[in-house]
Amino acid sequence: MLSTVTRNRDEEVDGSTPLVTSEDLLARVAQGDREAFAELYDRTASRVFGLVKRLLRDHAQSEEVTQEIFLEIWQNAPRYEPSKGGAISWMLTMTHRRAVDRIRSAQASHDRDTRIGIRDYSPGFDTVAEDVEVLIESERVKIAMGRLTELQRQAVTLAYFGGYSHSEVSAMLKVPIGTVKTRLRDGMIRLRDELGVTS
Amino acid sequence: MNDPQNESGAYALNALGEAERRDFEAAMRESEQLRDEVTELTDTAVELGMSVPAVEPPASLRASILDAVASTPQLPPVADTGAPAGADTPAGAEPGPAELKARSRWSGSLVRIASVAAAVVLIAALGLTVRAGLQAQSDLTTASQINQIQAASDSAHQTVDISGGGTATVVWSLELQRAAVLIDGIKGLPAGSTYELWYMDDAGSATPAGTFEPAEDGRRSIVLSGVMNAGDTIGVTVEPAGGSPAPTGEPIFVVETA
Repeated sequence: MLSTVTRNRDEEVDGSTPLVTSEDLLARVAQGDREAFAELYDRTASRVFGLVKRLLRDHAQSEEVTQEIFLEIWQNAPRYEPSKGGAISWMLTMTHRRAVDRIRSAQASHDRDTRIGIRDYSPGFDTVAEDVEVLIESERVKIAMGRLTELQRQAVTLAYFGGYSHSEVSAMLKVPIGTVKTRLRDGMIRLRDELGVTS
Repeated sequence: MNDPQNESGAYALNALGEAERRDFEAAMRESEQLRDEVTELTDTAVELGMSVPAVEPPASLRASILDAVASTPQLPPVADTGAPAGADTPAGAEPGPAELKARSRWSGSLVRIASVAAAVVLIAALGLTVRAGLQAQSDLTTASQINQIQAASDSAHQTVDISGGGTATVVWSLELQRAAVLIDGIKGLPAGSTYELWYMDDAGSATPAGTFEPAEDGRRSIVLSGVMNAGDTIGVTVEPAGGSPAPTGEPIFVVETA
């Protein structure tokens, strides 16, 4: 449920302290507790599915990848340590990488086959950017994105929300790959500072 | 030419190519500063992820996942993910929280490790063990691909005996148009020859789908190259080293997927 998903580490969306944190749940999952896993799923599935769907767009594939991600969460839970980062962070990092892996492997094996759905239509920058404009829920993130230069914002948007590789971003924005890398780094550092992310 | 520092943003956004990602991870092993930066940028990426509207998945997915979990073993808690020597704390220096976190994220590659684990689970489910057949980096990709094939909604598999000894399990998905072969107990080959995989269509026309050498223990898992079509038969022949454009000998096994 959206209303119970933690936004930053242990802080709930509504600011109240949850009775049981996602980190607590993950610790119980690590002990093989399937009930805790079900609860963790209920708390986070819409977040994970939303991000996967945002990247893959295809519904069936998004379900598949979401299933893979949750199985990996289950398998890797014993290796998660709360002291080393929030549970949601851990899960969403895994989510983004898995979704992007699926895009890449679909591209590698299905260039000649468009039936599969992924990138059937390849949204251009305008589409991705427009969607992001409308779809970013968090005012905080919207404001932070607004502080980037136009070029940084384009590159970060295509990479994160579009799942494009730096070489694809390079082709779409018609700038050298090295420049894309620099923009991605500078843009992410700027976002980090604007959002006050510290390790 | 490639300054690793310049790639930290691309890495955190999963925008690097596979080879670059590996190079970057190698560079992280050498630099605490780089690890710390990546940790922060990865957390920043998570903020972006949290800003994407949540979408409630169908209830059937919940049931399917909880069902799968019931029969999926977990990894042992020891993080034997091959913590890099370069990440070792110098004697007398306690790693700070940032360092610990960075290291854990780094040794991260969790997703890819999990892919191997998932493939091993699949293979265990099929009554085989290919852990030994999964060597190093390129096989992480193989495991991930096998995992995908197995996760496809129309995934199917069949195990057959290999003439000369051993068994072969073929896993395929027409939806993905991909297939993989998990080999166990295949015999070694004389010098100058190789095993070659084939897709054979209804009309009997064979398309090469890659070559492989068995590991010393006779195990191997391979994703077939090329595209699988409905009705294809999958088989393996012994061919001169380098492979042949068309099969020259009798197959040592075939699996009809129709």
